[in-house]
Amino acid sequence: MSQGRDFSGHPRRAGLSFWDAGLLAAAVAVFALSGYAAGRAQSAVEIARSRLEEARRDSEGARDRLRALESRSGREEGLASRVLLTTEAPPPRVVADLAALVPPDVRLDGVGLAYGRGVELELQVVARRAQAYDLFLKRLTESPRISAVSPGTENRDGEVRASVRATYRPPGSLRE
Amino acid sequence: MAWFPSLRLVAFDAASVAGARLVRGLRGPRLRSLEIVPLPPGALLVSAFTSNLARPAEVSAALVRLREALGPGGVTLILPDGLARVLLLEAPKGADPHEYARFRLGPALPYPVGEAAVDLLPLDGRRLLAAAVRRDVVAGYEAAAAAAGLKTDRVDLAPLVALAGLLRQPRPARTVEIVLGDAALSLAAFEGGRLSAFRSRRRDPGPGEAERVCEEAARTAPSGAGDPPCLRVTGVGARSFRDDLAGAGQAVELAAVLPGVGSPPEAAERPWLGAALA
Repeated sequence: MSQGRDFSGHPRRAGLSFWDAGLLAAAVAVFALSGYAAGRAQSAVEIARSRLEEARRDSEGARDRLRALESRSGREEGLASRVLLTTEAPPPRVVADLAALVPPDVRLDGVGLAYGRGVELELQVVARRAQAYDLFLKRLTESPRISAVSPGTENRDGEVRASVRATYRPPGSLRE
Repeated sequence: MAWFPSLRLVAFDAASVAGARLVRGLRGPRLRSLEIVPLPPGALLVSAFTSNLARPAEVSAALVRLREALGPGGVTLILPDGLARVLLLEAPKGADPHEYARFRLGPALPYPVGEAAVDLLPLDGRRLLAAAVRRDVVAGYEAAAAAAGLKTDRVDLAPLVALAGLLRQPRPARTVEIVLGDAALSLAAFEGGRLSAFRSRRRDPGPGEAERVCEEAARTAPSGAGDPPCLRVTGVGARSFRDDLAGAGQAVELAAVLPGVGSPPEAAERPWLGAALA
């Protein structure tokens, strides 16, 4: 029988029964326990997140060192490649292609171009909303001109500030 | 705080007041006692507009006898069929069901909606059965209970309580449940397990009433091809109602409103007990 329906002029609250009080106490206990468990899980997440950040920094450092080694070993080959790339992918063209991918809520605070075997991009991205930043990453990864998209550190406190690394592929390389 | 409290119900109707005391057990609520006190004719006149207690002192005297049988504690008052305006509604998505029920019932009431107490019985999905009863009418019953020394915890309506119990029961796909009260009756039509229509109407006692009610129940059932609907009856006088119809060649089942066995025979004719015991 529903205990909620009441047509009386002055609704009154019935007293708690033994079972109601017991159930209430059990619910409070379960709530407290779940809060404690949630706190423990949150701290575990924080630890895992800091370890992940540390691993990511190590990985980026290793990648930089590898890139430096590669450029040193293939300096002559790299020189020819750079000459070729600057004609196939001049900076205005790269910037124009990037601008076509930027959503309205996103701006590029900085664009770094490094001509080597490919055109390495270092983008400093500012987005008003996290969704806009995610859309920009999606467009980058889906663009035939861009490859090896690697989102770097990002700050999602309010507007998103992030760095993104990627490789620009000039039109000629697509036919290869 | 009460330990293992009893549930006390006091049901009014034109011919009697009934008090039931139920106790909770490990296997659910159980009927501990059922007391029925007849009312003198004309002491309680069921009406949706004016105070129903034509002779409040006589009703209060009957309630005093119930109070002694029920023992101390708050009671739920169950008001008789025939008081309320009832509508079957489907609330729009995102709408508060109570506000929507008040919005829809307002134009259908013969008095300002501000004078109405509105509440509802939730059905499947967003569907609900909303009922409005005039506050002055409810206040008359509460005053009679208070005069008899009963503390009112809650007020409910007999047709809604009965239907809440009937909703839990299995039934054939096309069924019309007839819930009899002393002054009014309700017809609840089910199609494929869903409540498809709900109507209340005044009773018209006398020769041929059972046949007329059956014809009205058949009209309440959703139109469609196939067999005529199964008719089931419950409430005060349901057994003689069925017997009258059997004599006229019309088959009507008695609805088993009470779960389990061991209840007194009078309990079977109190459909508002079904929801409390389920």
